[in-house]
Amino acid sequence: MASNPTVFLLMLSGQIESGDFPEFDDLYVKYNFVFGPDWVITSGLEEGISQVCKKSQDGRQLFVWNFPLEVTFKSTNPHGWPQLVVSVYGLDFSGTAVVRGYGAVHVPIAPGRHQRILPMFVPESSSRFQKFTSWLLSRRPEFVDVNVVARSEGREVTRVRSQGHIKVTFNAITRDMKKLGYDVTPSTIKIPGADTAAALAATSAPAAAGAAAAAKQTTEANETVT
Amino acid sequence: MAEVHVIGQIVGGSGFPSHSLFCKWGIHAGGAWKVIAGAREGQTQVDLPQNDAFAAWSHPIDIHFATKGLQGWPKLKFEVYHQDEFGRNELYGYGFCHLPTSPGMHNIECVTWRPAGTAREQIAQFFIGGAPQLRNPDMVHSAERYALSTTAMGKVHLQLGIIFRNFDRYGVEC
Repeated sequence: MASNPTVFLLMLSGQIESGDFPEFDDLYVKYNFVFGPDWVITSGLEEGISQVCKKSQDGRQLFVWNFPLEVTFKSTNPHGWPQLVVSVYGLDFSGTAVVRGYGAVHVPIAPGRHQRILPMFVPESSSRFQKFTSWLLSRRPEFVDVNVVARSEGREVTRVRSQGHIKVTFNAITRDMKKLGYDVTPSTIKIPGADTAAALAATSAPAAAGAAAAAKQTTEANETVT
Repeated sequence: MAEVHVIGQIVGGSGFPSHSLFCKWGIHAGGAWKVIAGAREGQTQVDLPQNDAFAAWSHPIDIHFATKGLQGWPKLKFEVYHQDEFGRNELYGYGFCHLPTSPGMHNIECVTWRPAGTAREQIAQFFIGGAPQLRNPDMVHSAERYALSTTAMGKVHLQLGIIFRNFDRYGVEC
């Protein structure tokens, strides 16, 4: 194992569990991950399409996709942290796929199991004329690029209608975050990172050298654990 | 320098008197703080919820700070507006919240308020709409609000992940 890592890993597993869209039936989901330029997928699928699901014939009226997500990312910088972009499609009366909702959420930054409920929304026509033509041609407005829902620029010009939710479960594991000096949970703050321990050892006076060495030992102990 | 990453989203707003809402947000930090990457302000989409009384914004935030000191810990500032069918915007609430000072995932509900105005303004607002706004929007995150009368409005829901880097090197305990 390299003693001075330059990258950290984020291993993600999880599933697109279920959805709640009272007005619709026969829905499927598409997902993809959107991330910054410093990020790379080392294994797993960046995008996927689920089966077509009918809603349950009981009081819950639930869509269950139970669709797996398994992917590992590599990066040098948390900026551009991956986001999961989900879009839900249904079939209209003529059999063409129509979007029923877009949604996005950041992958959890902390290790562990996390559940997220994503509100799903569709864009609205931007003018009365477009509203009329979309009604005439029975074509809903859609985003040309699905990934706009993961970006913050240019959102002020979009008007949307939110309808329904999706439930997603994530299990995240990170590796070498602490060695690069990053704290993603309060519990790791006590442990000095590799750089910190080295800096402490280098800069401290001889009297404090013992303490620094002890700190370094703790890191080494920590390294063997990882 | 110690670094802070703020990664998350403005999930939405709830508890406002009517829907079709959007939110302008900004982040303010003291002089020791420097934004290395990411947008420090923005505006969300307008959402008209179909079923729920919850305006979904799902607006991503991803900011990278570097800092030399803890003074002036960053805070998020919100202005929630209502947009009517003619595209006119009416102020629905101001609010601010500090970034959490511990790393990890945080669900935050930020309360909001709006200036109430005088009795005459309130009557005028009831009949013809339009809400009083602050002449100086910096009041939202300052402690100088003497002689301002306000009313309570809804909440802004946030989901933020905070990552610290090298705080341990400077002996900061969080």
